[in-house]
Amino acid sequence: MNMRIILFISSSLLLGSCVQAPIFKDADHALITSNYPIISINGVGIEDTYKLDLDTGENTLVIVYHTYSKDYHCTFTWTAEAATAYEVTDQENRYPLTLYRWIRKNSLWAVRLNPIDPLACSIVSRE
Amino acid sequence: MFCIVRNFLPVLLLLLAVFANVTSVQAASIVPDLSTISDSDIRNSAIAFVSTSTTPGLSGAVLDVNTDNQDSKQWRSSLGFSAEFTIRKHIFNGYWGLAIVGGSLENMFSVISDTGDQVKLDVTRDVVGVRGSLGLSFPINQHFKLRPFLSLGVSNLRTVTIIDGLTLTDPSGNPSTLTTLDTRADMASTTGTVDAIYSRWFNDNRLELMAGYNLNYTDSISGDDSVLNTNAWNQTAMIKVRYSGKTNLVTDGRLWRWNVYVDHTKFLSFDKASLGYTGLFEIGTGIEWHMNIKPLNWFGWQSVGINFGVITSRNVEGYNFGLTAR
Repeated sequence: MNMRIILFISSSLLLGSCVQAPIFKDADHALITSNYPIISINGVGIEDTYKLDLDTGENTLVIVYHTYSKDYHCTFTWTAEAATAYEVTDQENRYPLTLYRWIRKNSLWAVRLNPIDPLACSIVSRE
Repeated sequence: MFCIVRNFLPVLLLLLAVFANVTSVQAASIVPDLSTISDSDIRNSAIAFVSTSTTPGLSGAVLDVNTDNQDSKQWRSSLGFSAEFTIRKHIFNGYWGLAIVGGSLENMFSVISDTGDQVKLDVTRDVVGVRGSLGLSFPINQHFKLRPFLSLGVSNLRTVTIIDGLTLTDPSGNPSTLTTLDTRADMASTTGTVDAIYSRWFNDNRLELMAGYNLNYTDSISGDDSVLNTNAWNQTAMIKVRYSGKTNLVTDGRLWRWNVYVDHTKFLSFDKASLGYTGLFEIGTGIEWHMNIKPLNWFGWQSVGINFGVITSRNVEGYNFGLTAR
């Protein structure tokens, strides 16, 4: 009985965690997800968001990496390709955040490829 | 930030204290006429072996220990993974880890029995267990973070002791000078850990400094040997320095990176008699492939690799050769 419950919970967790294919707005859009808030797109300030549909072509995003002493406003500029997913995360790289092309490999894992560093990360002290 | 850490530590210590009131100590050695080995010695040795095999942060090792009165071989290994995960809308991240741990110790030494006879002892201990960790990671700035976490582990310790030279009565009632004792103990451990990690990039090379402190509570229950119905606190401190750089090797579009490292581990609570050492120094090198996958689309698994290190200390020689996953 206990084993059945454990198997049920494990299976539910695994199935619920399966890697889903990204859903694009349409075939001409790209998608970006970020572990940290996106505060600006192409020079226009937006409310903090973690997921955005992007027009293909060159985009510039500002994403904030928070720490307890400073905030790092990292600016990414790159050419987004249609029907392509991107992801921004911290990976202990040279800059606080890195942009990757996100590819679903199978239902168990995705791959982060083609890292892009931000153009710059401006430092804002926390009060 | 420091307020959060300060508030979190008492919670850790409280959790540790909750696990600390379970078992009372019963002292009754199952080997008579060997008063040179106290019950306390047996307990300390067992707890020290389990702790040096299962404590979070320890890498694999194969050790030869030679002191004036004992000669032992010990290995430990773990198969596991740990990673941080983002908690949106909070500055701190989460941290988790799971590991299967194992180790073995063969310890040979001689003592004089209460009757004046020379007695040779060959003690073999084997431990296998699982450990889970959960905690938080507090980035102070881009380069420095504090990571407190709690680990719970359960393990099974088997001890086979061959006593040569002491006349004991075997189970059939006949006296024998060669006796084998086989005992088991179940152990539960709770470890509070605080890691302080500093990193900095120099062009394509990365320097990482890590200092860690473990406060561990182990509760042991044995139906075979009442001496091992016991509990103990112990502490471990670790310092690690790691320097890595990129190579020209690329596999499937992803880089290989080399690294060199130096580790020092100090077992603060054990005396030298328990295992023959209280600290270990390791220097080594390795190579890692940065495969950069995201299992279950949940946490980042950056690299797999191999490493080789040489371990040394007073009375200790050893090595560490194994797989790494970061």
